[in-house]
Order: sequence, then structure tokens, then C-alpha cells
Amino acid sequence: MAVTAPLSKIKTAAPARPRPKPGANLAFWAFVAPSLIGLIVFTLVPIGWGFLLSLSHAQNTIHPGHYVGLRNYTDMLTDEAFLRSLVTMVLYSLFIVPLTWGMSLGLALLVDKAGWGKSFWRTVFFIPSAVSYVVASLIWRISLFNGLSFGFANHLLAPFGIHPIAWVGTVDPPWYWLVLVTVRLWLQVGFYMIIFIAGLQEIPKSLYEAAAVDGAAPGWQTLRYITLPQLRNTSFSVLMLNLIAAFQAFDEFYNILGGGGQSAGNASLARPPLVYLYSTALGDQDFGRGAAGAFILTALICAVTLIPGKLFGLGRADK
Amino acid sequence: MNLSISRRQFLKTATFAAGALLAGCGPKGAPGARVTLTQWYHQYGETGTQDAVLRYAREYTKQHPGIAVRVIWIPGDYSTKLGTALLTRNGPDVFESTLSEPMVTAGEVAPLDDLFTPEIRADFNPKDLEINSVGGRIYGVKMFDDTAALYYRKSLLEKAGVDPPRTMDALIAAVKKLNTDDRKGLFVGNDGGVGSLINIAPWSAGSDFLVDGHIVFDNPRTAAAYEKVLELNATGALLLGAPTDWYDPSALTQGLAAMQWTGLWAYPAIRKALGDDVGVLPWPALDAQGTPATFLGGWSSMVNAQSPNVDEAKKYVKWLWIERADLQKDWCLSYGFHVPARPSVARTADALRATVPQTAAHNMTVYGHALPPSWNSAMNTALTDAATHILKEGRPAAGELANAARKCEIVLRRMQE
Amino acid sequence: MKTRSQNFWSNAPRYVVLTALAVLFVLPFYLIVRNALMTDAQITAPGWIWLPPSPHWENFRALFDDHDNQMRTGLINSAVIAVVTLVFQTLFSSMAGYALARIPARGSGFVFGLVLATLMIPGAVTFVPAFAVMAYLGGVNTQWGVIAPGLFSAFSIFLFRQFYLRFPAEIEEAGRLDGLGYFGVYWHLLLPNSTSIMTALGVLTFIGSWNSFLWPLVIGQDPSSWTVQVVLSTFLTAQTMHLAQLFAAVAVAVLPLIVVFLVMQRSIVEGATFSGGKE
Repeated sequence: MAVTAPLSKIKTAAPARPRPKPGANLAFWAFVAPSLIGLIVFTLVPIGWGFLLSLSHAQNTIHPGHYVGLRNYTDMLTDEAFLRSLVTMVLYSLFIVPLTWGMSLGLALLVDKAGWGKSFWRTVFFIPSAVSYVVASLIWRISLFNGLSFGFANHLLAPFGIHPIAWVGTVDPPWYWLVLVTVRLWLQVGFYMIIFIAGLQEIPKSLYEAAAVDGAAPGWQTLRYITLPQLRNTSFSVLMLNLIAAFQAFDEFYNILGGGGQSAGNASLARPPLVYLYSTALGDQDFGRGAAGAFILTALICAVTLIPGKLFGLGRADK
Repeated sequence: MNLSISRRQFLKTATFAAGALLAGCGPKGAPGARVTLTQWYHQYGETGTQDAVLRYAREYTKQHPGIAVRVIWIPGDYSTKLGTALLTRNGPDVFESTLSEPMVTAGEVAPLDDLFTPEIRADFNPKDLEINSVGGRIYGVKMFDDTAALYYRKSLLEKAGVDPPRTMDALIAAVKKLNTDDRKGLFVGNDGGVGSLINIAPWSAGSDFLVDGHIVFDNPRTAAAYEKVLELNATGALLLGAPTDWYDPSALTQGLAAMQWTGLWAYPAIRKALGDDVGVLPWPALDAQGTPATFLGGWSSMVNAQSPNVDEAKKYVKWLWIERADLQKDWCLSYGFHVPARPSVARTADALRATVPQTAAHNMTVYGHALPPSWNSAMNTALTDAATHILKEGRPAAGELANAARKCEIVLRRMQE
Repeated sequence: MKTRSQNFWSNAPRYVVLTALAVLFVLPFYLIVRNALMTDAQITAPGWIWLPPSPHWENFRALFDDHDNQMRTGLINSAVIAVVTLVFQTLFSSMAGYALARIPARGSGFVFGLVLATLMIPGAVTFVPAFAVMAYLGGVNTQWGVIAPGLFSAFSIFLFRQFYLRFPAEIEEAGRLDGLGYFGVYWHLLLPNSTSIMTALGVLTFIGSWNSFLWPLVIGQDPSSWTVQVVLSTFLTAQTMHLAQLFAAVAVAVLPLIVVFLVMQRSIVEGATFSGGKE
């Protein structure tokens, strides 16, 4: 459950600082030194290095030098496979983001109002967050959505006279999407449910009481006019965290559809950008195009995370 | 304090920290050894293989005191891991691989011409020398030849009243007849054959991929070959969604499919499970203008040109894959089933005289194809995408192949820069 | 006023839905346990066997005896990596967060700007250039190569800064009157008062590190440097597959986290809400 911040949440206002004391400068630099050096060496230097690589013909080498201008960028932007991977990413996000939002909000509402066994339900839905994508992919591919009769899903369908379905290998209909979407839902819905529950608990009870006085029926009306508007910022956080995560999907695609040469045909059915970059950079050993692709994707993610905040002014008042 | 001074201090500290981290990880040597060679293998599936290579390494050390060999066995995506390791200072000294031109251009592999005296050169299959040569120099010693075959259960074909299929239409008809509720007709991999047949199908149509530095697959024969595999997929009689892929014989041995395209390496396991109830064919010809096809594969042993011990590594490769015919035979025939690369060794192998291996080995000689070192992984990805779109999703073949060919041309041009 | 039991019954549909969903959510765990304790033949049997007739614990022994898989190495590597990451990421981030929140110094704005800029870069996307730098530094195929980039998290620094910003200035002033310097204030006042946030973020870091896949996959070439996730992934591409052993491995990989999760649940919830935007 790697967590990344939606950019719009970041407050840039400088804090009110106490008066400087002697040695403040020295202390400051001493305290930030480890992190600063680390971030420089492992984030900023790679970005600079990667930029030079993206301008280089770097086949089977990690050293920039053989400069070719923007050719790697034009290569990638005219590469049907890379463009398809971006389309895959967008389509996948269109499925997974609203579904995760709806299911985690729904679970939060169900669990929050459950008078009895509230912490039990919360644990049950939250605990899959402890499981890795690799593990979940294994369970999904080998046991739950195994294409043979001993797969659990096929076993459940057998009494209805349905022959075993090859969930991962079938293109018509594309069952592999069911496998890919459900695995991510199972893994992350509980995490976002927790965030929603926290959001629900911050809504002042007085709002509901006032609504009751005004004659609003509990249920749909209070949900529509009080709960949802009050959860606006939480919803925004959840959607953005989720979107950023979906854009960086790798683990389950690699492990369910098959990475590294195995079932190559299934892997090219749905290949998100990170899987394509992995195969371009580390598989084909073309670090120039791999780096160029990484920068294009970074630019896209930054745009997608910045624009909504700017456009709608959302997330600003998030406390 | 002035900011620029602090920055300089940071740089100093950073350099120091990086140095301290680096110092902590020198190469690990065996005690008492003057030189330790690291040798990489991909994971072979057959029982006993890992112990065998460890034994060969120990024997070398016994004969050459002072030279230890650290064998590393790599499961999973071997070629990516190897390619990545060769970029670093800690890459293996000796490794098995398939030669690709960029490895030579980037100076990753050491030329091995001096290991090939005229007599030794004459004792290698010319095709095996060709796939290990770039620019007239040899970079790999072929360890063994691998091939695949269409295995079929004789009894099941008899019961269904079908003859072993010799053309694609006959195969499609047979697959349909062999398909039952609890046993599929054929297994060619979980992706419907994209991975296993991507080269085989066009070869069986008489087409090819990269000949004399030109991309040649963009033609109606390749299209027809992939469209035929689409037809095969459309029968619904292909096994999909098995736990393991085409290179593992489980689908056949566990009775999940009546026929399977898999390696000759799997023959011992198949024989153990099915006894004599199995026959082999090359992949059927597309039609009357086509020819049956299979691949001439296998691994070659190479030496890392960046290794500090290139000479010792070369000596070891020579000892293991050229001089020690007994170990080569043990490796090829005691665990899985591979054809020794050198005819002089293969001739002495009794195991090769049994019907199934003999037929498969014969098919390899007659119908076996290989890809040249200038065919690389980026081209393979482009072709795989096209094949997936054609033979799984049924998109128009001509456009897909033209697209892939264009991309391969670019890759090829870039490679020659 | 409704009574408790009325409340329960009016809520009955809610419990039905909750129960149904709970069954779905628990199902994958059931599959792990079931498959890990059966034989391959039982797993692939045509009829579904709901529970292992007699548990085959020997699958676990076989898992660790089989030298074709690297489970033992993977578990040790993952444990070392997750613990080192947990300790140092928390320490470094809290130090930087404290400095950015409480120490007025020239360059503070610059450093914070740098942290924010880093925060904008999606971590996973930079793996290609990060690999190049790591290969240059000699960290490929080493444990420190897997660990090092994970020790520094702009997001974690940012969260610690947010936390320390709200630390009451009076306590800090009182500490100063007692003669504490910046280090003393951090060590004696802030650290003891931030154990809850440290635990919360630390557990999340631990889980994230144990479960991470792409970077260890990129860095680990030979099995001696693989993490448990990389080992599990190679089970899928192995030439032969022992289903029961595979699920035994899955069980072993998941169990430590389930334990951590159940024991530390309060902290995890706190950490999740904190990093999810609610402070």
C-alpha cells in the first residue's frame, strides 16, 4: 500500500516560525542532510541522468553520450504499442477509480452505521490491504480464476452447465479485465474505506440533527445533501490517490497476464505503460527510449494530478 | 553560513556516504581460490539439472586448483535479468544466452574464436556457428540443440479415428475431433500460441523474419499463417488457462489435452507418464506450398568481456563445452532431453536412438529454423503484438504486419548505427 | 427511543449485506489456507474439496527443503529490507520534518521546495533512470541497492512536517529555558511526543516495503538478492509448478503481515487516515 500524495493537497504556505536561535543554520542542515542527500542521489540525479539518457541512443548501455536529439521522444510518441499502453491505462483507470470510490464509500457507510461488531467488519474489509499485489495475483490466477475446472470461479459456475472459462486467455469477451479489476478492488477498497470512515466521523452530528428538524428523510436525502457534500474533500483525496496508483499499475499485470516472455500473447492484450517501459528498458535494453517514455508518463501524471485541483479548486480547504 | 559552502559540504558528504556503501560490497570469493568465476544458468525444469552443473563446477576446481566456480541458477525471466546484470560491474563471468547483435556492439561478450580450432569448428553444426557469429567472429559455444515437437497421444487419435495431422487443415480437423468435455484437443500455451508459434507458424508457411539484414515477414504468407492459428483458436478446442505454459509437459501428462506442442527436453517426463503412447510430429505445413517446421534452439555459453578474468573464463568454457564430451552427454541426456551440439558427441548417445527422440532430432535437422543474432527483443515485441492482434483478436493481418515491419526496420536501422 | 434489540433488527439488512461482502473478502484467504494444506492431486481434483481431509503440513517443510526455490533467502532479505527501511525512513523523515517545521534557517524554503518537487514525481515511473544511476553506483544485485532509495521519502518528510507544525511552541520554549538546543528539543521533547505518528507511518512503511515488487525485481538479478515477492513471482514463470508448495509459500509470505496488521491495526488505521488526507 504505497502512498503517494495528491499534489493538490500540498500546502506551500510557510509556517510561522519561532525566532532563530544560535546554531539554527547548522542544526537545520544537520537534520535535513540525510534526507536531502538521499533525495538528491536517488531522485534528482536519476532525473537528470534519465533526461540525458532520453536524448541518447543508449542500446545495451546506461551511459548517455551518443546524443540523438528528441528522436527517442518521437519514437515513443509514434510507437503504437506505447500509445496503446496509455489508452490501456486510461481505460483501466475509468473502470477502477469510480468503482473503488463507490465501493469504499459504500463499505464505509455500511460499516460506520453498524452498531454491532463495527471493528470486526472494519478489520475484515481492511485486512486485504496487508496483502501484496504479487500474492493476490497468484491467488487470482492460479486458484480463483484458474482456467481449468479446479479453479474456484469455474467450480461455482459448473452447476449451471457452464464449461470452464479460461479467464485470463479469453479475448471475447475480455474476461481478463474482470480478473485485473477485481484483484485491485480486493486489495485497495478497504484502505480507502478507512479514509472514508475517518471522513464520516468528522461530519458534525448537528448537521444531521438540523436536517431532521427540517424534515429531511434519513437515508438517501441526508446522503445526497449532507454526507456527500461534507465528504467532498475526502472523496477528492481518494479519487486522486487512486488515480495516481492506477496510472502506475504494474504488479498485477506483470504477474497475471505474464511478464518476461511467458504467455507473451496475453501480456500484449493489456499492457499498462510501466510494463511497456520495463520491457523496453530492461527487456530490450533500450534505455534511451525507456527513459523518454518515463518522462512522457511523468508529465502525464503530473498534468492529471495538477489540473483537477487547479480547475475546480478542489482539495484546497482540505484540513 | 554561506549556502554555497554548505552545498560543497553536501557533495563531500554524499561522496563519502556513497563510497562507504560501495566499500561494503566487494565480490565474494571462495576461500583459498585465486580466481572465482561466476557462472549463470537459467532454471532448467528437469530434476537433477542444478546438482549436475554444481558437480561440473566442483570437478573443474578439483582439476584446476585456484579457480573456483560459483554457479548461479536463475528462475524466472532469465534474459531480462542477464541483460541487466551485464550492464553492471558485477555481471557473471560465464553465462548461457542467445547471442544478439547489440551484445556485441556494446562490448558485453568476448570473442571466442581462439577456442575453435579447425577440427573443432568442423565438428559443429554450421547453423549453430552462424547464430553465434557477428561480423565474422564467434561469441558463443553452442552447448546443445533444443527443438520442439507436436506430441500426440496415439491411443486417443486412434479412438477418435484421426491420422497424425500433416497440414494445418488436418490439424484443425483433428483438434476438433479430439476435443471432449474433460480433455481439450491441443495445448500450445496459455496465450493460444502467440508465444510458442510466433515463428513456427510463418516458417511452416515458407516465410521468414530477418534474412540478410532485411525484414521479410511482411507478406501474405505470414498473414495466412497467423490467420490459420486464429482459426485454430476459434475451434474452442485449445487448452487455455493451465497453470504452466507450453514448455512444461504437465498438460499432456495430466491428460488435460490430447496433443501438445512442447520441447524435446520434456520427453523423459512424458515417457514416464505415458510410456509408448506418444508420437511426435513437426508443426504441420500451412498448406501444399508450405513445409513442416520446428525450431533449432538451445543455449550457448558465453564469456563476459568486462570480466576481470576473461582468460580463465574462456578456459573454463572450453573445458566444459568443448573438451568434456562425457559431461556434455550427461548434461544433455541424463535429466531432460537435449541433442548434444556436436555431431561427434551426439553419435555416441544411445538415448537418441529411441523412436521419439530420433524422429524429433531428425525433424530438427530437416525442418529446424533459427533466428539470426540481428533479430532482437524489441523486434520480437513488435511481432508479438502483431501476432496477438491477428491470431487472438482477429484484427486484419496486413495492417498489423506492416506496422510491425515498420517498427522492426527502425530498430534494425538504429542497431546498425 | 429505540431499544438496542430494535436497533439490531432494523439493521438486519445491513448485516446481511455485510456478511455477504465479508465472505467475499475472506474467500482469497480461505483459498490460501486450503491449497497450502492439500496435495497437488487434491487441489486439481475434479470435485471441489472444501477442506483438506488431513492437513499436509509437510508442504511447508518441502518448501524450505527444495533448493530450486529461494523462499528462505527471500524471507530473510525481505525482513532485513523492511526493518532497515522502517527504522531509517522514519528517523530521516522525522528529522527532516522537524527541521522544516521548527528550525528557522536560511535555505529552509529551498529545501522544502525541493521536497515538494520530489513529491510530484511519481516514484514508480522513475525506475528506469533510477536503475541507471544504481547500476553506476554498483548497487544492482545487492541488498543495499534494493534498500537505499526507500530510505528517503518526500511524502513521509512532508507528513512529519505537517505533524510537527502543530506541536505547541510553549513546550519547545520551556525546553529551551532548560538549556536544550535544537537537537535536545528533538530528542527529549519531539521524539517522545511523536511515537504514535511514528508507529503509524512506520507500520505502513514496513508493509509497503515488504510488499513492494517493481524495484526489487529491477535490482535483483541473482536469487541471493531477491525479496519474497520476487521469489513468489518466479514461481509463476518456473518451468514446473508445485501448486501446494506455491500456496504454502504464499501463506508464509502473508502470515507475518497479517500478524502485524492485527496487532497494529489501530496504528495502521491512524496512519492510513493521516496519509490519506485527514490529519
